Amino acid sequence: MRTQPINEQERERAFSSVKKPEVTERQQLDVRYHVEDHEVTGRPRAFLEAFAAILRHTNYRMALEHFVRVSAKCARCAVQCPVYQATNDVKDIPCYRSELLLSVYRRHFTMSGSLIGRLTGTGHLTDETVQQMAESFWNCTACRRCTIECPVGIDHALITHLGRFILSEIGIAPRALVVSTREQLEGKTGNTSAVPVPALSDTLEFLEEDMEEEKGVPIKFPLDVEGAEYLFTPAVSDFLMEAETLMGIAAVFAATGGSWTISTNYFDAINYGLFYNDRILERVIRKLYSETERLKTRAILIGECGHASRTAKYYVPVHCGGDQAKPVYNIMEYTYRMYKEGKLKLQPGTITEKVTYHDPCNIARQGWIVDQPRELIRAFCSDVVEMQPLGQDNICCGGGGGTVSIDEIRPYRTTVGGKAKADQIRATGAKYLIAPCANCKKQLRELVEDQEIDCEVVGLHDLIYKAIMFEGQPAEMQTAQEKG
Amino acid sequence: MDAVIEFAQGPLFRVTFGIMILGLIRLVVLDLINAVEAYRRAGDKSLAWTAAITKTVSWLFPLKRAFTQRPVYSVISIVFHIGLILVPIFLLAHIQLWEAGLGISWWSLPHFWADLLTITTIVTGAALFFGRIGQRSAQALSRTQDYLWPILLIIPFVTGYICANTVVGPATYQLSMLVHLLSAELIFVLIPFTKIAHCVLMPLSQFIITLAWKFPARVDDKICTTLKKKGAPV
Repeated sequence: MRTQPINEQERERAFSSVKKPEVTERQQLDVRYHVEDHEVTGRPRAFLEAFAAILRHTNYRMALEHFVRVSAKCARCAVQCPVYQATNDVKDIPCYRSELLLSVYRRHFTMSGSLIGRLTGTGHLTDETVQQMAESFWNCTACRRCTIECPVGIDHALITHLGRFILSEIGIAPRALVVSTREQLEGKTGNTSAVPVPALSDTLEFLEEDMEEEKGVPIKFPLDVEGAEYLFTPAVSDFLMEAETLMGIAAVFAATGGSWTISTNYFDAINYGLFYNDRILERVIRKLYSETERLKTRAILIGECGHASRTAKYYVPVHCGGDQAKPVYNIMEYTYRMYKEGKLKLQPGTITEKVTYHDPCNIARQGWIVDQPRELIRAFCSDVVEMQPLGQDNICCGGGGGTVSIDEIRPYRTTVGGKAKADQIRATGAKYLIAPCANCKKQLRELVEDQEIDCEVVGLHDLIYKAIMFEGQPAEMQTAQEKG
Repeated sequence: MDAVIEFAQGPLFRVTFGIMILGLIRLVVLDLINAVEAYRRAGDKSLAWTAAITKTVSWLFPLKRAFTQRPVYSVISIVFHIGLILVPIFLLAHIQLWEAGLGISWWSLPHFWADLLTITTIVTGAALFFGRIGQRSAQALSRTQDYLWPILLIIPFVTGYICANTVVGPATYQLSMLVHLLSAELIFVLIPFTKIAHCVLMPLSQFIITLAWKFPARVDDKICTTLKKKGAPV
């Protein structure tokens, strides 16, 4: 992967800050994202206390002990990092970023490090380093490409994840994420977008009417069905912004006779904890799981959302009973299984324009879901082109790691974070860019707009909705569908 | 001079080699203890063993991965590592010493290959050193030890080559041999305490990071208690 570094004009745009100087002054923190007011005196000490508490109760010490010993500083990760490729600033090399935290660990939490540090009187954590970490860890889009490229096996993504966790414990975390999560866990609406239940039911009712009119068969969003097979939770923003994705999913269930339900008590799979704090991640997972227990569903089904799928799949077992926990699936797995079993019929050639598929990092990097959506797409699209690299080696949309939800850094995301992705999209010349992830969709729409690429960003089920065929569907509607 | 060489060949070798072996065993044992403890605490004990093994093997023999990015650096680094591992272990002259001392022996490298690998190690080691000096991204990451290691590692190869292959006066031979021994012994002592520890730790990396993402169950409460944040808003 090679992308050209940004020019001076782009650099100015990317790193411009909308923050008021007096806020930066008051918080003594020069970062581009908004942070809630927090205690600024004694920050290094508070950081070390939080670090110590986290090390005591988690497994990070094992990883850090290993990393400080094997780190060979080969700089190989530099060629894999889309952010460094765009900024060409050595501070953005993954190994450089990791060293910020590793050096704190070495100096304050290893015997040899603290001995040498005390003897020479150097290396203790300063406010300046805290500031560097606050900036650097949030420049990263947590795409984890560097991790797969490290010959000695250092997981830079894990280090950034931990760095953000510690920072958030001393009050340094993007306000956008914290405020949404507060509403999700402690607010009246109980979801990150503050969608009230009446608004949800109205929206779904409206969509049901639309679908029946368009497809000629009844398609429902079953609410609060106890004992359904799947508890379906998308990123809550889908109810506001991705109606077509939801319609496609409802249509798949209607066509395949699947048993599913949406809970009006809790309908948000977003888990920003993954991006800034493991404690929050745990709370959101437990809230999700208690809902599946309340409605007695067999499994949890997550909508088109990368990080929500990854957190549920990997952290429901962690916090809710290991191998005894209810299984978690991503909607693409369900749709694919139905297609393979012959229960889902897709009209070949429904989409004739050129389409390409974007692998969301949180779904593809670990090789979880890579081929299934491609097979589905080929079933009803006649002109499919691939981006390079793809699958496990894919390039991030540029808004990963929670950065997409931080609106004030949009210029950074579309100039730096998404630079390599924009090059990739342009090279395909695709009309439709399929991205089965709420975060990726938002970022990619902003990216194609800011980078002036003529391409429409859609979800996988948005297109499936166009191609799906129903038994008993009025003939004229099937013909209309065939004609596109 | 002879007495010094004899000391370096005998007691000093035994001590430094012992430090290296014990030091490396210690590192592996510490890693394993940490891993067992982490596994015990992990809320989800299902591990992707196959993926971890595949990734480990693919980095131990990085034929596929290496050439997709930075091919020149990759080739240099791989050739360097091959000589660095094979020559000290499989050089006939070294094996003969083991046989004389402990009565054990094993397959040795043909003379031609031993010479060739010695030269490639020296050349690639120097290339790595200059590469580190010349490359902006590497410079930004490098600590003192990162610059010193390639140089230190090729010293025993240069002196070993002189002793084995060139016609030199006895004084030069003795000096070369002494430098050969002392530099190798310095390397032995430093290995467990520096980045070269990756020679035994690297094969464990993929297992460590797979396990590291398996968090302990229900730590929210514990961390809140320790940090006196119980009941505090999100």
